[in-house]
Amino acid sequence: MNYKLTIGWLFPELMSTYGDRGNIICIQKRCEWRGINIEILKLDLGLKIDDLRSCDFLFMGGAQDLQQKIVSEDLRKKREILKEMIEDNVPGLYICGAYQLLGKYYKEADGTIIEGLGILDLYTENPGENSKRLIGNIVIESGIMNHELRQNTLVGFENHGGRTYLGKNIRLLGKVIKGFGNNGEDKTEGAIYKNSFGSYLHGPILPKNPHFADYLISLSLKEKYKKSVPLSPLDDSLEWAAHKAIAKRLGISI
Amino acid sequence: MGNIFIIYLGKLLVYSSRLLNLGQGSTWPGHLALNLNKNFIKDIVNQNPNLKIILIAGTNGKTTTGKLIQTILEKNGEKVFQNEAGANLTNGIASSLLLHSNILSTIHYNYAIFEVDEATLPLVLNEISPDYLILLNLFRDQLDRYGEVNMVAEKWRRSLEKLTKKTRLILNADDPQIAFLGLSQGGASIPPLRWIAKRWKDNTFFFGLDNKKLITSSSQHASDSTYCPNCSSKLHYDSIYFSHLGDWKCNNCGLKRPKLDISEYSYYPLSGIYNRYNTLAAVLLAKRLGIQQKRINSALHEFKPAFGRQEILRVKNKNIQIFLSKNPTSFNESLRTISDLKAQNLLFVLNDRIPDGTDTSWIWDVDFEDFVYQFKYIIISGDRALDLGLRLKYCGKPIIHDSQLIIQEDLKNSILFGLNKTLKSETLYILPTYSAMLEVRKILTGKKIL
Repeated sequence: MNYKLTIGWLFPELMSTYGDRGNIICIQKRCEWRGINIEILKLDLGLKIDDLRSCDFLFMGGAQDLQQKIVSEDLRKKREILKEMIEDNVPGLYICGAYQLLGKYYKEADGTIIEGLGILDLYTENPGENSKRLIGNIVIESGIMNHELRQNTLVGFENHGGRTYLGKNIRLLGKVIKGFGNNGEDKTEGAIYKNSFGSYLHGPILPKNPHFADYLISLSLKEKYKKSVPLSPLDDSLEWAAHKAIAKRLGISI
Repeated sequence: MGNIFIIYLGKLLVYSSRLLNLGQGSTWPGHLALNLNKNFIKDIVNQNPNLKIILIAGTNGKTTTGKLIQTILEKNGEKVFQNEAGANLTNGIASSLLLHSNILSTIHYNYAIFEVDEATLPLVLNEISPDYLILLNLFRDQLDRYGEVNMVAEKWRRSLEKLTKKTRLILNADDPQIAFLGLSQGGASIPPLRWIAKRWKDNTFFFGLDNKKLITSSSQHASDSTYCPNCSSKLHYDSIYFSHLGDWKCNNCGLKRPKLDISEYSYYPLSGIYNRYNTLAAVLLAKRLGIQQKRINSALHEFKPAFGRQEILRVKNKNIQIFLSKNPTSFNESLRTISDLKAQNLLFVLNDRIPDGTDTSWIWDVDFEDFVYQFKYIIISGDRALDLGLRLKYCGKPIIHDSQLIIQEDLKNSILFGLNKTLKSETLYILPTYSAMLEVRKILTGKKIL
C-alpha cells in the first residue's frame, strides 16, 4: 500500500527564526526514505481553511515578538478549526513561540497580557526585562517513550524569556535532566495534549531525536489510516552520535 | 584618575605583554582604562576634535568595509587607524584609542575607523558622535547573544535619535530595517512619506543595488525583514539580491526603498554580491569626503582582504581560500560565491563557542540543498561537526555514505585530509565560523603543525 501524509507547516515565513524548518526537512526525508509520499503545505497569512483541514500533521516554530503578534491575530480567526483538529487527535508539534501561543496567555516583560489561543491548559509569563533568558543545551527524559521507544532522552537547545506553567489538564513532554525546561523551576519541559506536542527545544528538535521524529510519523499514519503502519528501519548512526554528543557535553552518558 | 596615568599604564602593560608574547592587547587595555575612568572614550575623543571618526555597524561586512575605507583613505594620504577586527565592543574601541594616542592623550591621526558590534552600537553612540555612521545590514545572527533582529533595530532607532547634526548616515537602502532608520529620523514616524525632515535629508545617504543580472532566482529561507518596519504589512519586492535585501516597497503604507546615491561601481575587489554592498558603502563615503575617483580606483585595485574574509593562503603548494561563514545569510552567500568560482573541494568548520554563538540551529536555515551536489568533496569539522553532518545528510540523496562527505572532527586532520584531496590546480575552500576561522589560521600560519 502507498501511504501518504500531508504536513501543514504553519507560517513558514513568520514563525521560523531558529532553524525550526529542520523539523519539516527531517519528517519529509524520513518519510521519503521509506517510500511514504509526503506533501508539505505552507500555510501562511490568510491560509485557506480547507488546506488546514486536509493536514495529517501540523508544525509551527518560534519567531520574533513582532512576527508572533502578526501570527496570533491571523490565527485567532482560525482558532475554532485548529482547536477542533487538536481535540480530534490530529498530531502536531509546536515549538517555542508556537507552544506559548496555544496556551491561555502570554504576559510580556512589561506586564502586558497577550491572550493566547486557549487550546492548551498552560500559560506563560516573562518575569521582566532584568530576568535572564533561559539559554543553553538541554537534555530531558520523556515519559511517552518508555513504552513506545527504545531511547527515552530528548536533546536540544533552548532560548526563551517566557516561563511556561502547565495546568491540570495537560501532561509534561519530559522531565529536565540538564537545562531549564518550561520555567527553570519545576523541572518540567514541554507539554502533551492528545496527539499535540509543545516544547522549547530548538536544535532543531527532530533531527537529533530520530525516535521522536518516527514517533510523530507513526502517530500521523495511525490517525490517518486507523491502523498501525510499521516503519522500516533507517540507519540512524549519525543521528544517535549527534544525540549522544550533546548529552555527553552536559555530563550525561547514554 | 588621570588619563595620563591610564595611558601610561596601558602602554606599559601592552609593551610588556607583547615582549612576553602574551597577546597584542586589542581589548584588555581598554577594559582596564574603562574601569579606571568610565568616560575614557569620551575624554580622549573630546581632546582630539580634529580626529574624524567613522563607525561601521551591521551583521555582516563590518571588517571588510572598514578595511576598504582604510585603504582608500591611506591612498589619499590620510593617517588612519582602526580597531582590531573582532575587537568591536567598547573595550576594543578604548584599547584602540589608548594605543594610538600619546601620553598627553593626543592622537596624531586624521581618521579613526571603528567597527562596532550590533549590541554595542547604542553604548558607543552614548560616548561618541561620529562624523560618519555606516549601517550595513541586519540579519539573524547569534540569537542567544543579540536577540532578534527587530529588537536590535529598535535599539538602534532609539540611539540614532540622540545623534547630533554633525553625524552623517550612510545606509543600505536595500535592507528595509536599515533604510527605515534613515527614513524615520527627525522625529515624526507617522504619517508615512513625510518622514525625512530637512535636517536629516541633507545628512543621510543611501547605497544599494540596481542590477537585474544579480537578482536571485529562488527566495532564500533565512529572510528576516520581509515585513514593513512601519506598518508590519508584507513587503513587495521588485527584485531580491539575497536574503531580504532588494528593491522593496510597502503597498499598504507607501514606504519604499529610498532613492540610491550609489548603485554601481566600475570595480569590485572581492567576489560575491555581499562585497558589492561593502564596496559601494566604502566608495559612497569616499565620494562624500571628496576623494578623487582615480585614488579610489587605485586603492580598490591594491586592496588585500582582511584575514579570513576571502583571504588566500598558499600551503604545501596548494591554494586555500577562507570564507568566514557565521550565520545563515553569510553562509548562503559564501556558498553562492564559491559555487560561481567553480569550487570542488570544501571544508566546513562549525564551532559553538561564545564568538560563534552557542546555538547551532541556524545551520538548518542555510540553503545547502541548492549547492552541495556541485562539489567533489565536502569535509566537515569543528565542535559541532556531527550536527553539520546531519544537516547535509538531510539535504536529500543520501550522500553521507559515499566518499563525497567526510566528517573529521579533528580540525588539523581535516585540513590535512582536504589538502590531500585537492589537486595542484584546485583550491581548498574553507568555510569556518568565527572561532573556527581563528583556529584554522593558527594551524595554517603556525607552520609547525603542517
